[in-house]
Amino acid sequence: MHPVIRLVNRNLTISLNKGFLIWQVIFPLIYIFVGGFAYTTLIDSVPYGDKTLAYPAYIASGMIGFNIMNSTLVSGIIIWNDRRHGMFEQILVGPFTRTHYILSNVYTIGIVGLISAALITAVGYPLFFESVEFNLFTMPLLIFASVIGSILFGSIASIISTRLKSSEGFNVVINTVFLFFAFVSTAFYPAEGSPQPLSVAFYFNPLTYLVDVVRAGMFGNFDTFVAIEMLVLVTLSLTLFLIATKLLAKLEL
Amino acid sequence: MSCIETNSLSKSYGSVNAVDGMDLSVNYGKIFGFLGPNGAGKTTTIKLLTTLIPPTNGSMKILGIDAIRSPLEVRKKIGVVLQQPSYEPTLSVEKSLEKYGMMWNVEKKTRQDRVEELLSAFDLEEIRNIKNDELSIGQRRRVQVAREFMHDMKLLFLDEPTVGLDPSARRGLLDFIKHKVKDGLTVFFTTHILNEAEYICDEVAIINKGKIIAIDTPDELKNKFGREKTIKIHLSSIRKDLSNLLIGIKDYETDFNSGTNITIRSSNSEEVLLKILQILTTNNIVIEDLSAIPTSLEEIFLSVVNKSNASSY
Repeated sequence: MHPVIRLVNRNLTISLNKGFLIWQVIFPLIYIFVGGFAYTTLIDSVPYGDKTLAYPAYIASGMIGFNIMNSTLVSGIIIWNDRRHGMFEQILVGPFTRTHYILSNVYTIGIVGLISAALITAVGYPLFFESVEFNLFTMPLLIFASVIGSILFGSIASIISTRLKSSEGFNVVINTVFLFFAFVSTAFYPAEGSPQPLSVAFYFNPLTYLVDVVRAGMFGNFDTFVAIEMLVLVTLSLTLFLIATKLLAKLEL
Repeated sequence: MSCIETNSLSKSYGSVNAVDGMDLSVNYGKIFGFLGPNGAGKTTTIKLLTTLIPPTNGSMKILGIDAIRSPLEVRKKIGVVLQQPSYEPTLSVEKSLEKYGMMWNVEKKTRQDRVEELLSAFDLEEIRNIKNDELSIGQRRRVQVAREFMHDMKLLFLDEPTVGLDPSARRGLLDFIKHKVKDGLTVFFTTHILNEAEYICDEVAIINKGKIIAIDTPDELKNKFGREKTIKIHLSSIRKDLSNLLIGIKDYETDFNSGTNITIRSSNSEEVLLKILQILTTNNIVIEDLSAIPTSLEEIFLSVVNKSNASSY
């Protein structure tokens, strides 16, 4: 078996435990079914291109992008956990190179992102099935969003993992980053209608671009702006991936 | 051809030479001990030899392979137990052994057999289903060492493997290593516990300030550096006048714990002993016990390191 595949096997074993999988389903369920229906009295429907989406359908689709971010942030801290528990050095004195280790993390993050997206799509389907327009063109958008989103947020988590050593610092930074990404985005509410500073701030957040691409893939509303957002996501994820790779390659032992 | 061969191996961190021009040769099928005070360069040496860090200068061949040009080829053939604890917190003992074997591409049936063998050999059967983060430090260390035997290897590096282990676990581990060496394994072993090195090592090197200051078998080191012998005489009565009686005799100490104890430490211990015995006999002082304490590796170590520190000032 190729060394990268062996490491991916190991990464998935330690990442995809029962608790993680259950949490990946329960966490968005609460947002979708509790938050979604609770906020319906305030937000009855959301304009979306030439359509109108029921708020539960809007939030359910946002949760797909949110869940990709959430799960890949968790996977991205494999590096931090490995450093903390001595497994980073242990792997590097084994039959592996740093390149193997980096690639295995990328593949792990991608797989976890796809699994997360699939889980939440299955769970949220009852809410958005009436508005869904899956076709041969829009399905690849969902796969694109899952993979690129995973690489992007996984790289952010990897960068943080290589920079921080203390548990306190790590928790503070990850939670702050997580909160910003989660709430300053169009995952839960549209940019239109928000106060201007906030609606501008949304577009400094890659999660906004990610959920917009997910919604385009689900509800068939692909336009030039979505294409630009995809380009931004690719550029950002490649840049962050290269930074993460360089930092990991230079990590002193 | 040696199993490990280094030539002027050096590692510097700024102006600090952690390893300073080290020439080392370790033969196959031996247990080679690497001793030194804290900060001497033992762990840096292990990190260099296991290709975890690159050297600043010099060369090294491990198992006949140029370790600087082909580090991955070296790592495929060695096992390493680092000083720092390493474990998978969310996996059970059994699962972590099995996964480690998978990472080393050991076949499934072989993995299963080895897991059972190692759980038994390292007394881990009762804790096989407990997660690593719920284990004590000593238990985790046993798992960490046991894990390394999941894969085949020709050379094993052990950096203070017995830290945190109780005496029986320590002895069990050392005996297991001795057994494996009989099957052809070569072991490079660092420890602070010098009687461990005495028990297990075929050859020992003492390192201080990044340089090897002594290298030989434990017995030869004792012959070379252990000129001072210790002899103890115990008198049943307390004789505070002893210093007056033994005036003119050097290289002895007295204490009055449960009688009178005379300890002779000298490179001419037998000569001093004869003089003291003559005086005691003349004064009708009864000797209750007489014993000679063999020179230990710890005494050699302290003597060699202190001389090395003195000469560097």
